[in-house]
Amino acid sequence: MSEKIIEIHIETDDVNESRRDFLKNVGIAGAATLVASPVSVEASADSANPDAETTVAELYQGHFVLMSDKDKKKAIERLEKRYTAKYGKNTTVSDAPPLEGVLFGYALDISKCIGCRRCVHACVQENNQSRDNPVIQWIQVMKIPKGNFSFSADKLNKGYPESSKVGDYGIQVGGNAYTPVGGLSTEEAQSYYSQDEMVPDKNYFYVPVQCQQCEKPPCVKACPVRATFRDPNGVVVIDYNWCIGCRMCQLACPYGARRFNWGEPNLPPEEMNPKTHYFGNRPRMRGVMEKCTFCVQRTREGRNPACLEACPVGARKFGNLLDPESDVRKILAAKKVFRFKEEMSTYPKFFYYIG
Amino acid sequence: MGKILSFAMDFGSHAIKGGPKYKAWLLFLLFFILVGSYTAYRQLTEGLILVGATDQIPMELFFGNFIFTAHVAAAAILVVAPGYFYHRKDIKELAVIGEIIAMCFVATGITFILFHMGRPDKLWHMLPGIGLPNFPNSMLVYDTIVLNVYLFLNFAGVSYILYKKYVGEFDTKALARWFTPVIYLAIVWGPLIHICTAFVLSSNARMGEWATAVLPFGFLAMAGASGPSLVILLFLLIRKNTKLQINDSVIDLMATIIGWSLGIIMLVFAAEYFTALYSNTEHAASLNYSMFGHNGLNMYTPWFWGTVGSIVCCFVAILIPKIRKSYDLWLPVVCVVVFLAILVEKPMMLVFPAFSPSPHGEYTEYHPTLIEFFNVLFTWAIGFITLTLMVKGAVGILTGEVKYHKPAASE
Amino acid sequence: MYKINSQSVPSTIIVILALCAVLAGGLALVGGLDIHKTKKSAAEEQAKTQGEQPVANCYESRAIYAAVTRVENAVPQYGYPNIKCSKTTGGVLWYGDPFDGTIPMGEMPEVNDGTHGDFANAVVRPREPHLTYFNMGPNGCVTCHNGKTVPFPKDKKPRLIAMHKDIVEDSIQLKHGRGAMWCLDCHSATNRNKLIDRQGNEISFNQPQRLCGTCHGEVYIDWRAGIHGKRIGTWATGGKKRWWVCTECHNPHTVQINRFNQIKPEPAPPPPRGMKNADYERVGHGVH
Repeated sequence: MSEKIIEIHIETDDVNESRRDFLKNVGIAGAATLVASPVSVEASADSANPDAETTVAELYQGHFVLMSDKDKKKAIERLEKRYTAKYGKNTTVSDAPPLEGVLFGYALDISKCIGCRRCVHACVQENNQSRDNPVIQWIQVMKIPKGNFSFSADKLNKGYPESSKVGDYGIQVGGNAYTPVGGLSTEEAQSYYSQDEMVPDKNYFYVPVQCQQCEKPPCVKACPVRATFRDPNGVVVIDYNWCIGCRMCQLACPYGARRFNWGEPNLPPEEMNPKTHYFGNRPRMRGVMEKCTFCVQRTREGRNPACLEACPVGARKFGNLLDPESDVRKILAAKKVFRFKEEMSTYPKFFYYIG
Repeated sequence: MGKILSFAMDFGSHAIKGGPKYKAWLLFLLFFILVGSYTAYRQLTEGLILVGATDQIPMELFFGNFIFTAHVAAAAILVVAPGYFYHRKDIKELAVIGEIIAMCFVATGITFILFHMGRPDKLWHMLPGIGLPNFPNSMLVYDTIVLNVYLFLNFAGVSYILYKKYVGEFDTKALARWFTPVIYLAIVWGPLIHICTAFVLSSNARMGEWATAVLPFGFLAMAGASGPSLVILLFLLIRKNTKLQINDSVIDLMATIIGWSLGIIMLVFAAEYFTALYSNTEHAASLNYSMFGHNGLNMYTPWFWGTVGSIVCCFVAILIPKIRKSYDLWLPVVCVVVFLAILVEKPMMLVFPAFSPSPHGEYTEYHPTLIEFFNVLFTWAIGFITLTLMVKGAVGILTGEVKYHKPAASE
Repeated sequence: MYKINSQSVPSTIIVILALCAVLAGGLALVGGLDIHKTKKSAAEEQAKTQGEQPVANCYESRAIYAAVTRVENAVPQYGYPNIKCSKTTGGVLWYGDPFDGTIPMGEMPEVNDGTHGDFANAVVRPREPHLTYFNMGPNGCVTCHNGKTVPFPKDKKPRLIAMHKDIVEDSIQLKHGRGAMWCLDCHSATNRNKLIDRQGNEISFNQPQRLCGTCHGEVYIDWRAGIHGKRIGTWATGGKKRWWVCTECHNPHTVQINRFNQIKPEPAPPPPRGMKNADYERVGHGVH
């Protein structure tokens, strides 16, 4: 089974030397867990309440980044044991470190996106979100009308001021095109368009929004306990165990990317994804924040995020911004690229482009 | 040690003594505390899913009420300041009651924040040393520091004055060397809890309606209106029911402060609304929503106009000398209206509508749940019962009813 | 010889033909996969031996023409199936194994335009299994278009055809090239299992990009560079990637109407708690 992982990650550039090493390690670790897990299942079945000691230990757990390697290992083992018992699957919780010489970037072609919401649900499949009460989805697709005005010669001089006395000087407000037109303005956006209508609708275009992985993330600045931070790959991640649930980051985020576990997450065991990462898709607890991590459990092992793989039109592109040959860099060089809500000066690494 | 113990005993026993009306009031509050204990337990065990907050409107009634308690708490300095800065004899005596109000309402505010937290068990992560406070960056850390320091300052002030008066050693001329700085610091610190709370809100560039420089000024003005309203009500009650002398001049001063504050509130509102509505850009979207609704959603509209209307009416009313001097009827009515208007303004005008449109252009109405409502009442009941007991005991000490009896007590 | 006015064909026949084609396409795909598959996952083999007959009920980008079958436990390490599909639309949402059922892309010509195609580890899902029109078996189109059962056309002149109406409704009104093109501009007249370019080179259905690229050069360059089109697998330059070829997303026979055919979207998120619906967002648009 470790072969399988290695096979996926055929590397060519020298940057990836170290990665290949740890990929091997991960593969071995995965295998080890698989062998060891029946034992742990038995052990947890023996004690009356398998969660009790874990809960106590987690209460005093420090910030993951600052923990010693030994403590990290213990914390990971705790989690694996708990998840394996809870979901009945041999769950691995990786703590694979950030990659060397990599800055992740994402590009999305809004001229191609058809608004099918497959990315939304792919993300839910991959990242173990709560399925119901609360429903948590990290991606939200906005449907924005194109400029369809009702043009008519009658409206040419209709507007404010209406009085005929000033008519000669022209109206100040009004006319044929006095209605909003999509653009990337959210003013007319619809996020709840029905699943019964066919997409794409010719009169609309579609803009999926998820965490933009800002280079100057307001959420990180607002967090009172540094539970969320920008990792060396440029991805903003959360230590779910360190989060105190104050939701200041949600207030600060101009992209509405953060989602809160208002209650105990409901994740059916059969839908649970057992391959997890500490900062990524491991099952969350009640009262903590979560958000898109560019699928940190996949991308740190070389694989593309789940939303990209689900997109039926190939509107999503992911890659290393430091590599001039990467898809994203080629798009930045060749296409008309812009960022969402640039005026917020957050400098996202999520780019929208017109292909 | 014995002195402190008997201080606590005497203070406590005097605080719960009272007529049937007083007892009924305490029982009334106890009822909400009892019901609230159950709802609070539910929320602690099941999480915030039981309140009406969503990812679209992540701040609940607790947050709005927290801001309001900060208003009232900060306003207590308006009782302390005239006494200590302007040496007004009539009010200096009452400074301790102002500090009690500050103390109780900061504590209430902190309780609201506990309800607001998703993981109250992890609050220690904010402590320096064992935790990891995001000190230079996060406004919430500043706010936490400022609130707790304010709580401590007022607690120190209140206990010092009351204890010294109890044992009969309080002398305004020979105050302890540390006490005067504490009192002055508390006066300066009052506005700080406001400014910091306002910055917690306005530091979020995403929240168009909050990203305004007048927010702290609006907050200060609202503190100046809501706090003294409560103070007037409290003083009128004390004057009527206890032997403590409170002059009309004190009440008039408070009424004047309310009048000025309401005027400033109106000016701040006008400045904000003009700036937003003249150009009517996307920054005015939330305001338009609360003023006129949006495509059939108009839950906030009556609250908006009701609040603005009451503030204007109260401003006009309090300018009329007849009403200002009507200590038995009209002045209390005006005070209650001001207090409630500003209480309602917080969630229904400031907090909830500001989240619409969301970053995705969604418009959402906030529907509080019953459990949320009872938890709010629970917190207020705790705040008011503490306030009642503290003020009752303090009045006993100020009037000399509660005193230290050396030989008789120890035998 | 099969000159029939399309106006006079009863619509029921078209419907029946279409239904047959859908059914046949699905069945043939199951059969076809067995023949053309180069990499069989162990789990799939296991499923076969246990007598489970997987049914293609999922699709990737194009309905019917990009159908795939879910195989349980394709990645035994995590108990992953090869794909997870949407319960409501059948769209493929999630890949347990991104390289499931793929073959190497094959040789790609060099282009001196500065785009260095990243083809070293490129794999594709073969398109030839989809050539099983009417379940003709391993020989595909040639079963009928062998010069005898159906004679080879003598020239490339456009003419009406009665067959394949589900693919091309009206061959004279082919929805590609705005009247300038006809079937035999892309399909080989003598070998229907192959495409043909303008120099007369036969091109495999697995590599339609080599034909499409001859006209759509700009898109082709973007596609080679990784800007246009879908690729899954690893993100690193030079890593193993599964490429989507032109016809996996675009229907070459109707591309003039829709670059991408309309599909049904996945379910919307529920409105925020406390909100009964999100009708407010539709007010004022005059639609729905």
